[in-house]
Amino acid sequence: MSDEKIIVQVDPDLEELIPGFLENRKLDIEKLRSALNEKDFVNLGSIGHSIKGVGGGYGFDLMSEFGANIEIAAKENNADVIQENIDRLYHYLKCVEVEYT
Amino acid sequence: MITNKSELMIKVLIVDDDDDVLNLLETWLTKEKYDVKRASSGLEALNLVGIYAPDLVITDLYMEGMDGMALLTELHNDNPLLPVIMLSGQAQIPDAIKAMHLGTSAFLTKPINQNEFLETVSKVSPNLSDKSSFNEFAKSIVFESKAMSDIVEMASLVADNDVSVFITGSTGSGKEVIAKSIHAASSRRDRRFIAINCGAIPEQLLESELFGHEKGAFTGANVRHEGLFQAANGGTIFLDEVGDMPLALQVKLLRVLQDFEVRPVGSTKTYPIDVRLISATHKNLEEAVEKGEFREDLYYRLKVIPLDIPNLAERQEDIPVLAEHFLSDFSKKHHQTKKKFSPDAMRYLVSMPWPGNVRQLINVIDLCATLAKNKNIPFSLVKNAVHDDPVQLQTLKEAKHEFERGYLLSVLRITHGHVANAAKMAGRNRTEFYKLLNQYGIEPAKFRDKNIIEKEVN
Repeated sequence: MSDEKIIVQVDPDLEELIPGFLENRKLDIEKLRSALNEKDFVNLGSIGHSIKGVGGGYGFDLMSEFGANIEIAAKENNADVIQENIDRLYHYLKCVEVEYT
Repeated sequence: MITNKSELMIKVLIVDDDDDVLNLLETWLTKEKYDVKRASSGLEALNLVGIYAPDLVITDLYMEGMDGMALLTELHNDNPLLPVIMLSGQAQIPDAIKAMHLGTSAFLTKPINQNEFLETVSKVSPNLSDKSSFNEFAKSIVFESKAMSDIVEMASLVADNDVSVFITGSTGSGKEVIAKSIHAASSRRDRRFIAINCGAIPEQLLESELFGHEKGAFTGANVRHEGLFQAANGGTIFLDEVGDMPLALQVKLLRVLQDFEVRPVGSTKTYPIDVRLISATHKNLEEAVEKGEFREDLYYRLKVIPLDIPNLAERQEDIPVLAEHFLSDFSKKHHQTKKKFSPDAMRYLVSMPWPGNVRQLINVIDLCATLAKNKNIPFSLVKNAVHDDPVQLQTLKEAKHEFERGYLLSVLRITHGHVANAAKMAGRNRTEFYKLLNQYGIEPAKFRDKNIIEKEVN
């Protein structure tokens, strides 16, 4: 995965909320990794569900996609797909840059 | 009485266990000028509903503890008309169908699209004109409680329809205040509001009072008398204590309500009437119907929209705002600086059982405001005032006095202030009758002016 910036355009009304929102997603990564270590697929599904629900609303559509993938994979107990999507989410959060337009 | 800025805004309660979702929805809604409160669980939402009285609830479906479906059911148990929008991360058709069956107004899937969300909110929100009619209505009634808010909401919704409203509640609970507010909020507001206490007037007089009589209809009926139904034409008539109306008159009232016309006593002619009827009673009319004391057909004709006013003790949160209101009234009326209750005096007021309801509260407040030596009304004064207040039962002398005065007013109204005729109807000679009038400070001349009817009856 390249380290190129990922530009996301976000509504300026949400500017104050975005730092906290992104910080919470980083915490989600930690929770996801810990749940995956414990093979806690119920918790994984729940975190994925919540990421899917909230990402797109803030303008981070890809985030919702990763969340949805994790939720589906958790139902199938598919640790590999979950790991892949945690990595993609981690990389996304590292590279994302917000433009308020 | 609702006093915050949200009076003119739609109030939305958002419920989700994810703070990021709450933050997002709150930002979108606030920008669109909605007044927003948030809850992190179904239980917190239920607790908030009583205090905040939202116009709309938006809830997540999947939450720890009480989920969105359970919350929807609880909300609608209390207020079936409250719009609820359900949000779900899953676009599962069975959930959506179940939610719709339970009465949800809309079902949206996450991630939420801002435009779709705001359009849905706008569509299911009550319109501001309904809300502003509620607020206009609420201005004339002082309350803070959910129970009174529900009554005011219902009353404001029906004010402009001509349906019969039936108000129940204990003596002194404010039935006439609600009736007057309904009249004031209706399109009949520029016409007359006439109130009559059916329990305070003897049967023969009550018939004449309500429906009128022709000259010579009975002894002492020397002039034609227009009844209150005709006097209220175009306006509203409020029949207080309708449960005390004798059975024979109930039949006549029923006929009036069915035919929209009255036939005065001793007349062969009927007169069309266009009157909105509001009635009230402190009695259990269902029981009276069962015992055969009240006509079932009339009961259902009156009780199209029932409003049950709770006792003051059941809505303690109204007591501080009512006390404040009556203290203001007292200071204006007596041109005095407004007094206030000390905190322990107010706590005592709030904790009292108030068997005489709002009327007793007014008596106590007036007494306290009169006797307080300085601006602060102390606990000791309130305690004495409450215990000295004989509101629970009138003395025989007071009851006789009240009845006699009501009787004299009625005969004078019927005879249009003609003392000789009134004395004849009352079975007294003129000198005795004049003595009685003097005793009660009643001036017969005032009854020669037709417009006095409303003032005196009210």
